[in-house]
Amino acid sequence: MKRYRIAIVEPATVVGEGITAILTRCGEAEVVCCCTTLAELSSHRAIRNDIDLIFLSHTLISDVASLSEWDAIPIIVVQSGLMSSEALRRFAAVVSIYSSSEEIVRAMHEAADTPIEPSYAESHELSERERDVLILVARGFTNKEIASELNISPHTVISHRKNIVHKTGIRSVAGLTVYAVLNKLINSEQI
Amino acid sequence: MVALDPEMKVFELIDAYPELLSIFSRLGITLPFGDISVEQMCRRDGYSSKLFMLICRMHIDLSYIPTSEHISEDMLGPVIGYLRATHRYYIEYMLPHTGRHLNDILEHCDELSRSMLSRFYADYVACIEEHLGDEEQRLFSNVERSETSADMCNYELDQPHSDIDDRTGDIASLIVKCLPEEAPTTLRCTMLAHIYMLRDDLRRHHNIERYLLRPLVEKFVNK
Repeated sequence: MKRYRIAIVEPATVVGEGITAILTRCGEAEVVCCCTTLAELSSHRAIRNDIDLIFLSHTLISDVASLSEWDAIPIIVVQSGLMSSEALRRFAAVVSIYSSSEEIVRAMHEAADTPIEPSYAESHELSERERDVLILVARGFTNKEIASELNISPHTVISHRKNIVHKTGIRSVAGLTVYAVLNKLINSEQI
Repeated sequence: MVALDPEMKVFELIDAYPELLSIFSRLGITLPFGDISVEQMCRRDGYSSKLFMLICRMHIDLSYIPTSEHISEDMLGPVIGYLRATHRYYIEYMLPHTGRHLNDILEHCDELSRSMLSRFYADYVACIEEHLGDEEQRLFSNVERSETSADMCNYELDQPHSDIDDRTGDIASLIVKCLPEEAPTTLRCTMLAHIYMLRDDLRRHHNIERYLLRPLVEKFVNK
């Protein structure tokens, strides 16, 4: 069974610990980091490539600059007050502090299946990590091999690949290979 | 939208929906039409006007799905005939024609762009030809020989078309995003117009296979 690696960013300890307990109990998630601020999350750079999903307090969603660091990872907003649906639209899923355990687990699955919209940076430039993934895709690596090579989870590889498709507009492996060569990310001899 | 009616003049049909011209061309229906109706033209050339209008409708409106009332068992042979004609139209006309437009652009590009795009297009054409050939061999020929097998109902139509659709879109993306500035915009736009025309036609073709051919094959196998 797939186990998602989760980061929780929630200033309210009781909420953070509650979500941790629900996710741990469902058996499909491992909470690798529970922080109270985005700055604290950023300080855990070593685990950045090892996180599949982030549960984020709605009180922190306006910090666009900090969020842009995490634009390759689906974010589930934890709502404890009223928010406009427009403000929440860019996130992969939304739960409330009143949500049941089942609803929270369902939101985790939904978010994991949602393609990432690179809306924070509003940029179609590939990130450094996306370029790394693209190069390996062009060299014929499978998702599993890419995950092993870059020391990230296969789920994160899939997220990066969705972003690459979204940003380049190219879907096939053959097309991505041409893209990588013409953009000088890889030599034609390497394919 | 002009209502489709077999009694309408052929010119009225073409004038209202010029995108249907390629159907005439792939079926080998010869001009001039004079002032004859669609019904008269179909009788003259040995086509069912009911099926001809159905195919026109599916070409005009991608969201149109015929119901069982519109489909009769005697359509199977003519539908396969139409699909074979469409395959020939792709292989003998659309793909080489689009390839020539690509070559026109690539003449202005560096060696790397030229070799990568040429190879990508050649692989794309090979992928389409392989799928069309497989379909003709495993599906059409069996029906024509009146040989039935459960495999015919399960024949995978959707995945190959989805892969082809992805690659068709990729050609457009690569031409827009990756070719050097030296590639003239006019040539790029001409090529893009052709590739989008091909993409739309392939999608209509897929719809005809999915919503017209498949139910007919299922009836044929279960008869």
